[in-house]
Amino acid sequence: MSSTLTWHYPVTSVTPDLREIPASARQDMRVPARVYADDTLWEQIEGDRSLDQLVNVATLRGVTGCVYGMPDIHEGYGFPVGGVAAFRASDGVISPGGVGYDINCGVRLLRSRLELGALQPKLESVVHDLSRSIPSGSYRNPALTLTIDDLERVLTEGPAYLAERGMVLPQDLAHTEARGRLPGADAAKVSARAKQRGHDQLGTIGSGNHFVEVQVVDQVFDAGAAQGFGLQEGQITVLIHTGSRGLGHQVCTDYVRLMDQVMPHYGISLPDRQLACAPLQSPEGQSYFAAMCAAANFAFANRQAITHTVREVFHRALGRAADLALVYDVAHNMAKVEQHGGEQLCVHRKGATRAFGPSHPETPAAYRRVGQPVLIPGSMGTGSYVLAGTDEAMTRSFGSCCHGAGRAMSRSEAKRTRSGAEIRRELEARGIVVRCPSAGELAEEAPYAYKDVERVVDVVNRAGLARKVVRLRPLGVIKG
Amino acid sequence: MTTMLFPRYREQQPGAGMAGTCPPATHEFLAHTSEMQLLVHAATFPELFAEAGHALGLLSLRDIPDVPTGEWREIEVESADRVALLVDWLNELIFLAETERWVGIEFEVRETGARWIIARARGVSVEEPPAVVKAATMHQARISHRDGAIEAEVLFDV
Repeated sequence: MSSTLTWHYPVTSVTPDLREIPASARQDMRVPARVYADDTLWEQIEGDRSLDQLVNVATLRGVTGCVYGMPDIHEGYGFPVGGVAAFRASDGVISPGGVGYDINCGVRLLRSRLELGALQPKLESVVHDLSRSIPSGSYRNPALTLTIDDLERVLTEGPAYLAERGMVLPQDLAHTEARGRLPGADAAKVSARAKQRGHDQLGTIGSGNHFVEVQVVDQVFDAGAAQGFGLQEGQITVLIHTGSRGLGHQVCTDYVRLMDQVMPHYGISLPDRQLACAPLQSPEGQSYFAAMCAAANFAFANRQAITHTVREVFHRALGRAADLALVYDVAHNMAKVEQHGGEQLCVHRKGATRAFGPSHPETPAAYRRVGQPVLIPGSMGTGSYVLAGTDEAMTRSFGSCCHGAGRAMSRSEAKRTRSGAEIRRELEARGIVVRCPSAGELAEEAPYAYKDVERVVDVVNRAGLARKVVRLRPLGVIKG
Repeated sequence: MTTMLFPRYREQQPGAGMAGTCPPATHEFLAHTSEMQLLVHAATFPELFAEAGHALGLLSLRDIPDVPTGEWREIEVESADRVALLVDWLNELIFLAETERWVGIEFEVRETGARWIIARARGVSVEEPPAVVKAATMHQARISHRDGAIEAEVLFDV
């Protein structure tokens, strides 16, 4: 082990890909903070306030083990994005800011039986049809506007509600984290304002870094695991990235406000008010958990509704050969009550995803030989990765992994660097079809605004948090 | 009761507020890796809240002309303290933009205290707001006095 001083914290290198800020680094820390990163990523991480934010998380009541930064960690609000922290369910807290505004923002991967040659002649029209059929940005979805009764069923049942509308295939639920239905959900704990924001947003992508991407499997790293996931070189896939939309945003807003007000009652003081929290077992903690689970179910249903639309578009263009099967759907903004080391913990993953291994009971039966699929989207125009969860991750990161490349540049700097038109031309020159309603947003999401996803994935692969299975190359992007 | 018109329209509304004695309220967005960090300067709290609301409106509208139309509407917000009030005020405007497709751009703060604000506003009705602002956060939210002016920071999740 070697010790150096970086930022204003003492840092110890545990391995070449793992650094630790000891609990003694700041008086109010309860546990160490560990960050998975190589030298290059570490240098980027030091460039913003990620470490300050991670250290702040290490001060929260009931936090246990270590708090973890994934290699895609970057500055967020309250918790850093790419942060993982576990709190004892018995006496620890739950923090809405530790989940984020986009509750159960997540990713799902669909695989077709098509090869590149079959899609290529129709790629442009398929991407165009997807962009016309799936509302993005702030657009609502008039085709799926819900009554209050229907919305409450979505909040309770998740994508299972959509089955009676013919929008769910038999294997879809089994290949969704928690079958898309978190049992702790209580629609009554979701405010009327949140329901008002979300009632017409089911089946919409939203904005920011959300997308639907048509891809091809262009490299296989682990043939056995790839076979287990039903993936092979040259195969067409579709990746969907979105979350709980305005409904989830409002749930977070409501409960940050509530917890900010009740913290004095529980004797909680914080280095950052966005970390507002309450004991998990308190009435406020239980209410937030129930509302968060309901918003998460909405997000699973949102990705399911988009899946249905994607399937319709592919069938229109390519017939039944374009059947799309769900590989997996994972959340990356969530708090889950899980067993770790014989103890019940509330694991917060903000910009981090589960990476459960073959022996975990929540790994779907179809993937018990391989491990849970871990889906890591790259930045727009770069490759995405499918990894497999490992049993070792349970002790190394509470069964967690990175969620993407991670931003490295502010939106304004990204726009100053190159225009949206230039980005579009560059992507099109590489054969990538792009649909984005705003040139400004295209520039904000430019590939150079993100870290190198390959480097991020290599770190988690070497660290044993998940192992590389295949790489996906983008062919068409519908930007939110 | 304090009545302050948003500085941008002060020349069109002579005699209102403290025009002529203080520099106009200003705002800028600071660099942040993933979100948008708003910094506002103003001479008074009513100006501060009006300028923050205006900045949010501009962020939401992107390239749409920010010329307010239609009737004034009343907006009232209560909160735990002044910093939370600023965050809640902005979250109220975000809620209206998303649910009513109405982006507030011109604000007249009629009354404000440490825990409440009564304002009226005019805005732009849009079919779809060009930019989605998810929320105003409490992260590093602050209001402080500096060089005789009031300075505030709020981070938006975008």
